[in-house]
Amino acid sequence: MDSDDTITDPKPNHPEPSLDAEPGTVEQMGSLTLGEAGDVAGAERPAGNGFLPADFYAAAGEIEVMEEGSPVSGDLAGPSSFGSPGACRESSGRGDALPSPSSSGYAGERGSSGGSSEIDEAEDRETMLDDWSRGKRHPDEDDGSVSWRKRKKHFFILSNSGKPIYSRYGDEHKLAGFSATLQAIISFVENSGDCLKFIRAGNHQVVFLVKVPIYLVCISCTEEPYEALKRQLELIYGQMLLILTKSVNRCFEKNPKYDMTPLLRGTDAVFSSLIHAFSCNPATILNAYTCLPLAYSTRQAASAILQVVADSGVLFALLMCKNKVVSLVGTQKASLHPDDMLLLSNFIMSSESFRTSESFSPICLPRYNPMVFLYAYVHFLDVDTYLTLLTASSDSFYHLKDCRIRVETVLVKSNVLSEVQRSMLDGGLRVEDLPLDSSLRSRSIYLDQYVSSEFSSPISSSSQQKRLFRAYEKLYASMHDNGTGPHKTQFRRDEDFVLLCWITQDFELYAAFDPLADKAHAIKTCNRVCQWVRDLENEIFLFGANPFSW
Amino acid sequence: MRRSSGVVVSLSTAMGLPAMAANEGLQLCVFDSRRGHQEGQELDKILFFFPSDFPYSVQLSVVGLSEGIITFTRIFSPDAACEVIEEERHSHVFYQAEPDIWMVMIAEKNKDNESDWRCDALIDVLKEAHSLFTMFNDSLQALLDKQPSGELARSRLYTFINDYLSDFYVGKKIQVPSFRDCLKERRTVQMLTVSREVAIEVQSLATVIGISSLGSIACKSLILFQDLLVATTLSPGDTANMFTYAVLRSSPEEYHRGSHDSSMGEQSNRYHMPRPLQRDNWSKGKDGFLVCDNQLNVGGLVYLAPVVWLQESEEHMYLCIYQHRSLTIIVLIPVCSQTDGEQGIALVKKQLLENASEKIVHVEEKLSRGWGGENAYHVSGYRYLLVDTDKSISRTSPPGKVMTLAKDSLFTLNKLREAIDLEKTRANREKPDHEKYLEVCIRAKNNSWIIAKVTQGRELYMVIERANETLLYASDAVEKFSDRYCDGAFSLD
Repeated sequence: MDSDDTITDPKPNHPEPSLDAEPGTVEQMGSLTLGEAGDVAGAERPAGNGFLPADFYAAAGEIEVMEEGSPVSGDLAGPSSFGSPGACRESSGRGDALPSPSSSGYAGERGSSGGSSEIDEAEDRETMLDDWSRGKRHPDEDDGSVSWRKRKKHFFILSNSGKPIYSRYGDEHKLAGFSATLQAIISFVENSGDCLKFIRAGNHQVVFLVKVPIYLVCISCTEEPYEALKRQLELIYGQMLLILTKSVNRCFEKNPKYDMTPLLRGTDAVFSSLIHAFSCNPATILNAYTCLPLAYSTRQAASAILQVVADSGVLFALLMCKNKVVSLVGTQKASLHPDDMLLLSNFIMSSESFRTSESFSPICLPRYNPMVFLYAYVHFLDVDTYLTLLTASSDSFYHLKDCRIRVETVLVKSNVLSEVQRSMLDGGLRVEDLPLDSSLRSRSIYLDQYVSSEFSSPISSSSQQKRLFRAYEKLYASMHDNGTGPHKTQFRRDEDFVLLCWITQDFELYAAFDPLADKAHAIKTCNRVCQWVRDLENEIFLFGANPFSW
Repeated sequence: MRRSSGVVVSLSTAMGLPAMAANEGLQLCVFDSRRGHQEGQELDKILFFFPSDFPYSVQLSVVGLSEGIITFTRIFSPDAACEVIEEERHSHVFYQAEPDIWMVMIAEKNKDNESDWRCDALIDVLKEAHSLFTMFNDSLQALLDKQPSGELARSRLYTFINDYLSDFYVGKKIQVPSFRDCLKERRTVQMLTVSREVAIEVQSLATVIGISSLGSIACKSLILFQDLLVATTLSPGDTANMFTYAVLRSSPEEYHRGSHDSSMGEQSNRYHMPRPLQRDNWSKGKDGFLVCDNQLNVGGLVYLAPVVWLQESEEHMYLCIYQHRSLTIIVLIPVCSQTDGEQGIALVKKQLLENASEKIVHVEEKLSRGWGGENAYHVSGYRYLLVDTDKSISRTSPPGKVMTLAKDSLFTLNKLREAIDLEKTRANREKPDHEKYLEVCIRAKNNSWIIAKVTQGRELYMVIERANETLLYASDAVEKFSDRYCDGAFSLD
């Protein structure tokens, strides 16, 4: 496949990049996105930037565990807030009580539904690990195949004339008829002056996202809420824009029957890996990014050198390790939306060509400005760590190369790189490290950042992890309901987990426990997690980066 | 090739037709997917459409979209076809009432934010309409078999559903159940709680009613006080149906209300249509039995009590309703040779009056004395809905009390119920024998606690406002409620 070429070099028929990313446009985009998908408490975000508010410290001290019968002193959802918006996910430290596979979600789904059982994504996990890094899965299938129909989650991109653009499974060209059907349904409703949101049939949900002239559709029986699936479609659309910009619309204006598939040729891996992230990367749910845990001084050193190059005409300088941020610096007031970071790192991580040599590639940051190409200079400093320098100017390759050499030299000299590698080897935050017997995930609204514990025992199998991930996804959607949210607190107990969520002006905390955990224990643990996050905040959050201006 | 081509056919039938009128409010359609397959015959599919004055082209477009989506969703979900289409401005809900008969309701969302509803609550309206229809008319399939042209089915549906919908009018507009109704459960029975002593007397009354002098024929009965059920000898499903009807049309308040709509008179007379759901259908006769006005003078026919079909026990029964003050007794007499005709029924009625009059007066007095009024089941500080799904029973806070809740509290509970509906149906589909367990406690933006608990076939939904307390306090409040009013069903351990 010519994937590498397609990705790194704009095709001749690429829309012309225009370089009008003026601050005015940027602001406009910011306000647009708020209306569209900025449902993450955007409106309540306190103005200002940087450090956790003072009442983080004050309030955290006040949060006490309520013992049964004790006076009302530990109001979980009281007016006092406790610090950074944390999605504190905790999972079951009291491992023995975890539900058996048969009683639990995904494993159970497969086992119990007998003849009509859906094809679990986990079923071909081994091939998948290869597949989503390489590209198309099951290209031989089409809508006539029984196996295709039983896939648990389909994603489609098509044009409003019914031309297939992307399908997660099966060959797009063989799916032309199916694509036309989707188009007929969407257009029918559009013609009546309305807009389709979703269709529900049994365990299946068909979710639509209309971005004329592009239609996106997800068909899923994964029990994920509509809001979550819609967000996934938004991200897929964003990923497409990252590769092509919105000016691709012009092609359809000229020719409604325009076949867009060649423009995306070779990018299957990018979409596959994004879709894979929908079931394991909290950034896809939370509208936030996460940092690699590092000593404060180490991160400072990295930021200092990035600041130097940023001042020399680089729009954004971004040092990342896999999908975790080491440091991030932007010029002046520009800020990176967490979704842009997610899509950019996904694009880089899933494209083999970036790893082999330094690259200079046109990319679009859809939340920054969906109309224009920026240029990304990408260089892998080691196997997981990469420096990305973004500029608006198409002829600054050599300048950025020089910048990279300077950055790399400093990073090596000051041991930042080796610290990063060590932190990577440490494997992130684990509940075992907590002064308690649970696991954690936490998100800071205030900084656009989240911190999350890695999955650990007893959530060890991938289906268990996915189940927990989706439980968080559902909890997030329920807390951030469009009409009534965000709620302040939610406690939820079902056969799989006890979940606790807590949202204040500054942070969100999401925690999971085993289903037998009692409330007092859960609350106590959350308080300790908050204390622990506070103690570690210098290592797990990046301060000083501009949060995205909403 | 594929089934998807069928979708396009259905849609293209409907394509190019005028878009729906802007302010249609509500549409309800019943169609038979086996009919009208030939070109030009498409209208034959439609058995009922509300509003009936909608242009045929619009009616066809609704059916076309519905059929298209049903076909489409079967590609992925062959066992459970489309239930909901959610659009920005409309919700379409589907109910497959009989193997080939579909009911579709399209509700328009208005701009004042009052139109946030639970799709399952809308589907329940369709289910209720169909159950009641079947109870009085037999299944649609049976009607279509009886008269393949469909005229009989159409005319029955026309009067029945229009009469049924008359209850949903607020002013001149139909209002479907919204988030404000989230502390109600349609198709369930509300019971009157009575003391043990009274319960024994009621039981003995039911026994007396059950015995008829017509040989071995046993009558069945429901006894209601006001609009609450006191006793029943029917199965839970049939009870729920009959109870719904009784509360709708035969409780003492109801039949006095009188008619406000007789626009369908013309059509119903043409077919001598029974109109059990017509507002002024019943009036009280001298003997205390309610008389079905509409059937008295039809074509000089002999008056007979209406016949109902009980779906669970699969029996045809004559429906007789006796009323004494606040007490309503529904007597169901099996249709058979001995009871055929006026005489049999008259005999049973006479016997009832002879044997049970005293008991009836006595029971009514006792119940009236013990009756706590419309706020009898109010629990101070709580607004609740308690459902026993196995027995189709529910109890709720009095409507007047629910009205005091903030809009946001009801909104949040409605959303929570919608989410739980989804989980419940999914669990039912995947593990029908498994008892779902779920507990959710939300502290909403307005500081109210929104609580749901599902366990062992029972459900509890609750709003606690003005409770500026902790999670533990809230769960304690639920525990207390559960211990006191639900035999501890929702308590831990």
